[in-house]
Amino acid sequence: MSMRSQVYAWNGTGFGTVAAANNYVAANAGVQISVFIGGLGNNITMPAETTATEFVVIEDIACTPSLGTNGGSAAAVGAGAEQLTGWLQNAAEVEVAGSRGYVQVRINTTDYFLNPDNVTNDGIPGAASPYPRSLGYQPSFNLYPDVYVLPGQVWDVRYTSYQSSANQWGPAVTNLTGAAHNVFCKYTLYDGPDALIANKLLEMGISINPGNVDWYKRSLLSAQ
Amino acid sequence: MSMRSQVYEWSNLAPGGAGATLRRGIADLAVPIPANQATDIFIGGIGNNISTPAETTATQFIVIEDIACSPWISGAVQVRINTTDYFQNPDVTQMPGVRGFASPYPRGSPSVNNADSPQTYSPDNLLKSFDLYPDVYVLPGQVFQILYTTPTGTQGAAILCISAFVKYTLYDGPDALIANKLLELGVTINPNNVDWYKRSLIEQQTRSAVAATAAAAGGQA
Repeated sequence: MSMRSQVYAWNGTGFGTVAAANNYVAANAGVQISVFIGGLGNNITMPAETTATEFVVIEDIACTPSLGTNGGSAAAVGAGAEQLTGWLQNAAEVEVAGSRGYVQVRINTTDYFLNPDNVTNDGIPGAASPYPRSLGYQPSFNLYPDVYVLPGQVWDVRYTSYQSSANQWGPAVTNLTGAAHNVFCKYTLYDGPDALIANKLLEMGISINPGNVDWYKRSLLSAQ
Repeated sequence: MSMRSQVYEWSNLAPGGAGATLRRGIADLAVPIPANQATDIFIGGIGNNISTPAETTATQFIVIEDIACSPWISGAVQVRINTTDYFQNPDVTQMPGVRGFASPYPRGSPSVNNADSPQTYSPDNLLKSFDLYPDVYVLPGQVFQILYTTPTGTQGAAILCISAFVKYTLYDGPDALIANKLLELGVTINPNNVDWYKRSLIEQQTRSAVAATAAAAGGQA
């Protein structure tokens, strides 16, 4: 159990488990929140951090996709928008179907994704890395090289939605609760001896993945 | 953090539906895009922009791996390095670049957003026909632009929301030096090859140290 594939999925209502006061609602639009300890949706008990004997490799992040539309009238988005079908639109508001969501990775106090002018941005758009994936929403983005969280570092996955009005917050049935807002993170946790090997691979300039950790173990065994 | 996968997404959305903005906001509206005019998605003055032209410093190296845009209104994206357009016609004349039909964003997006009937789309899912390979290199000190062009423009009562997307890897510091070295060697620049070059340097150092130790031992004997 020293290399473990892990996922964390966040939902604006904690998949229906959190109190209404902790739902991610339209009033939270435009504010970047932590999907781990942001106080909205499902959360964990403490900030995500690695101990001295852990090494985390973040391999994928994704969030609810969006699709440009045409704000000419107030209506529900049509069937061609697939999983965004039914999201409401308002003639006088943002012409985007979906959450207009972005997801950023933060290590300690440093944001991973930057604009070309080296200013931190909102992160990966859901349109580029959609969750869930479907025929109509496929990833344009692949998180490679992976993001390494070294022993002792604190890390965070942060979500921002710019969809501003409760009218547009989701399909008609969930548009007030944020139930349609989702974030996903896939990472591998290396623990104990495997975390030491991960550090060694990092020193050697070798990508850290389960295959290379196993290769290093085999090379140690064959050297004995 | 010296090799980082990065994306930049541009949309013609700005406060009040006019001009550009450095930060996205909750009250953004679609800004009209003129016909047949190349719009720089970084500093073009439409939608979300950045503060300075996109350029690499002396210690940076950028590899552009993918570009895409909304397939609607026949939009296309072009890469410009300094003053040179990357995509050109067979007769070496200018062209608008890769059509959104060939490289759609989002991938799987419908091909048509019906301007006469808002919020309705064609029932299809466009996949990419185009793959930006080999990648486009932006060397240290170069300025690069991603230009969006539509032959029809978006003017009208209902303005379509258009997006463009660029995916690139930023090599910084020592990794940018290695990227330059790989370029000299004619080796494709990607994270795997940068790691390979680092490993080969380490192995070379190890061999040198072993040889020096052996030579010193031989001298004492």
